[in-house]
Amino acid sequence: MDGTLIGLVAFASVLLLLGLRVPIAFALAGVATIGTFLIFAMRTGVFMPDRAIRPTTSLVFSNSFDLIHSYDLSMIPLFVALGHIAYRAEITTKIYHAARVWLASVPGGVAMASVMGCGGFSAITGSSIACASTMGRICSPEMLSMGYDKRLATASVAAGGTLGSLIPPSVLFIIYGIFTETSISSLFLAGIIPGLISLLGFLLVIFVWVWRDPSAAPRFEGQITRAERMQAAWEAWPAVLLFVIIVGGIYGGFFTPTEAAAVCVSAAVIIGFAQRKLTFKALWESVRETCLQTTSIFLIAAGAKIFVAFIALTGVANDIVGFVTSADLSVLALLLAIAAIYLLLGMFLDPIGIMVLTLPLLVPLVESYGFNLIWFGVVVIKLLEIGLITPPVGLNVFVIAGVVGKEVPLDRIFSGILRFLTVDIIVLALIMAFPILSLLIPSSL
Amino acid sequence: QTLFVGEAGPNRGARAAALQGFADAAAEASGGSVTMDIQWGGALFKANAALAGIADGVADLGTIIAVYFPKEMVAYGIADLPLENPDAWVGMKATDELMRTDASIQANLADMNLVYIGTFTTSAVHIACKGGAIRSVDDIAGKKVRGVGAYGNTFKEFGANMVPMSIYDAYQGLDTGLLDCSQGYSYAIAALKQQEVIDSYTLLNWGQVGALGIFMNKDAYDALDASAQEALLTAGAEVPDLLGELITADNEKAVQTMKDAGVEVIELAAEERSKLVEKGNVFIGEWVEKANAVGLDGEALLETYRGLIDKYTEERDTKGYPWLRG
Amino acid sequence: MLRRIEMWLLDLAVAAVIALGLLITVTVVLRVTMNSGVPDTIVMVRELMVAAVLLPAAATTANRAHIVVEVISNKLPVPVQNALVVFGSVFGLIALAPLIYAGWREMTHTFASGAYFFGDLELPKWPGRVLFLLGIVVCWVRLLVLVVGDIARLRRGETLIENADGAGG
Ligand code: NA
Ligand code: NA
Repeated sequence: MDGTLIGLVAFASVLLLLGLRVPIAFALAGVATIGTFLIFAMRTGVFMPDRAIRPTTSLVFSNSFDLIHSYDLSMIPLFVALGHIAYRAEITTKIYHAARVWLASVPGGVAMASVMGCGGFSAITGSSIACASTMGRICSPEMLSMGYDKRLATASVAAGGTLGSLIPPSVLFIIYGIFTETSISSLFLAGIIPGLISLLGFLLVIFVWVWRDPSAAPRFEGQITRAERMQAAWEAWPAVLLFVIIVGGIYGGFFTPTEAAAVCVSAAVIIGFAQRKLTFKALWESVRETCLQTTSIFLIAAGAKIFVAFIALTGVANDIVGFVTSADLSVLALLLAIAAIYLLLGMFLDPIGIMVLTLPLLVPLVESYGFNLIWFGVVVIKLLEIGLITPPVGLNVFVIAGVVGKEVPLDRIFSGILRFLTVDIIVLALIMAFPILSLLIPSSL
Repeated sequence: QTLFVGEAGPNRGARAAALQGFADAAAEASGGSVTMDIQWGGALFKANAALAGIADGVADLGTIIAVYFPKEMVAYGIADLPLENPDAWVGMKATDELMRTDASIQANLADMNLVYIGTFTTSAVHIACKGGAIRSVDDIAGKKVRGVGAYGNTFKEFGANMVPMSIYDAYQGLDTGLLDCSQGYSYAIAALKQQEVIDSYTLLNWGQVGALGIFMNKDAYDALDASAQEALLTAGAEVPDLLGELITADNEKAVQTMKDAGVEVIELAAEERSKLVEKGNVFIGEWVEKANAVGLDGEALLETYRGLIDKYTEERDTKGYPWLRG
Repeated sequence: MLRRIEMWLLDLAVAAVIALGLLITVTVVLRVTMNSGVPDTIVMVRELMVAAVLLPAAATTANRAHIVVEVISNKLPVPVQNALVVFGSVFGLIALAPLIYAGWREMTHTFASGAYFFGDLELPKWPGRVLFLLGIVVCWVRLLVLVVGDIARLRRGETLIENADGAGG
């Protein structure tokens, strides 16, 4: 059996197992392990299982361990903990109350505020997953408690989280820049307008959603006096302070975005204790919940990482790109084919894995077509971001599912995501059709 | 036979070109019987898992960066020491000859199921700064510096405050003032556009980070016939010339890019450099002890290595670089 | 007994998250105020991450908090759904078993080689490997107990999916 066939069978097996309600982490890790074993056992053309044990175990260990053994990803448990702690210290409730009071006349105002919060948070974290895990923990439960439609309360944040990589800074742009030898600072600048267009698109989705179904976002009932508004705004000061600490700290040169997570948690704890809203017991309980939630997210990410290494062994990505290369397509057909490849791989693999597997093959191809690599980078990142919210493997959606728990099952979130995906496809088409949207800022500086 | 190659870096830049050149040379030398499927970007394993990845046969061969394995790769780590060894080609030739000929190192590698094939380098370590430049070692004290290996440790000895950060984040770190200076290699500084955010670039001409290269799974190597093995070793031995030419040109171009961007390029004075070298000796002594601890003769290896650096420095001075010889 | 071990591991993970948060904060504060720092912060945070992420795996399993796709299985008859719940756990046992073996191999290997991380403190590599193995092993045992318990419940004519039912709408 050749690698590509094993790879395609593996994709199908994952789909089947997920349909059979197998936990996502187990499905990815299990299929990847078995597939890896088969490839190593068949390497000489004769089935030699004893020769496959050592490389297979080495591959599954190093890929799962490395993912977890990460300094940068410490941001995820820390930001999730920030959400829990800020919730217990009533920091998030206060800012949400303020948002609700101030945006009472805007349909779906709180969901819009959440998405804009995601946009703002994107400028801090370089990672969509970190963005989704923080904002998911903070925004979704608040919207649920306000009676928002479950799909809207979760999907808006899962989609908003994808802004994390398009709006700079962004880990994905850094990796793309390294693989293409393009200017990382130009890539960052190029992501700004497409990021903002995506943000506007998401706001539009919420607006139309609530306009057609007002019950999806219950209005604030009763009269609001000017004094109440000022009161609400004033009481939101701890959240504003946290935001000032993060932004001021990063752009003022006091700490890195990864360090910002820890500093911010510490600040939230201090504010919570100073306001006597937080107890040591509540703090411990918050971090307990954090641990349970981040574990399920990390297990999936580790399974996905093993799956990427397995796919690298199969050579299936080479074959797909090789097929496109040899097809000698027109510019438009090539773009559509690339979009199809990324959307297909995006169904199963994580963004970094996809880049590592495809860019070495794809970049020479698109260069030969004379594409601008900065613009192409924005297209690639947008495609990868879409992959984060497409079924069956959508890491951002899993993150939200992890932090909201059993209250909203996965398929409800995915069904809400569909509306955001429609707009994402339109935004993608705009980015592809009008390179100026990406190139305007980097070329004018 | 197609061999799996695991490489943690991207398929761009001088090192990638050298690895690809090695693969092509091996294929040619073996008459097409040995071909390679290179997995870039750590798709199979990241740099910090490369040793087990190769020893266990996840990839048949690949790049190992010694700094991730200070204990297992202690012998190879000699190429990372702050010796007076700033020339990329000289450093690689010396390292290659040591690794290729020293029986104790080969036995040490064989114990880990590894065979040495060829060596790379990241080239000489210099330092880029925003704000106050480094003109003497006294300028180091109090600066927030992102550093590399023993070079970073030496800076710490001179009073620098070391900030943990990857080279990819250094741009933002320098821009915001989180960093005052970042140690690095000329080509990498230009590739990451750091010239946009720095004011000065001090050429230390002190040493290089050279302990990274191609190693092969010993079982996979032993399974090849003698001619295929020979083809791999021959191709491996050509890597220093291959990468030396590419990286030297890239570095010269990068320094010019920095100058064009208005960055002041400073040559550290010889007496200042000797202060660095002297302070760095502590780490060389520590290395000798660590090498001894794993059953190697650290002192003897160091002497041999220094001799090899002198030998290839002389060859460069008398005959010039191989790619410039008629 | 198993429940106590689970909770104890969860609390260790909590301690790890708090420790890494404090460690990074102290590093920042020392740098900003005294222009100094904590040596090998990155290595320590990485090791703590293994504890933070994997030690709660058993408790996550016990809470049935592994993320699953229910959209198709929800439409099937209840007995089939019950069978699928057990199947998912059994598949988990299969998927995790190689990781236990791999973790064991890596841990013993790291002990034997005495490998350590580059850095001022030259911290050993074994603690993270031990934590990895511990987290996976206890998770595996918990999953096994879950499977046995689930089968027993099914035999008594009970159902496993009451949680899933309410959330389906
Ligand atoms: Na971002
Ligand atoms: Na997806």
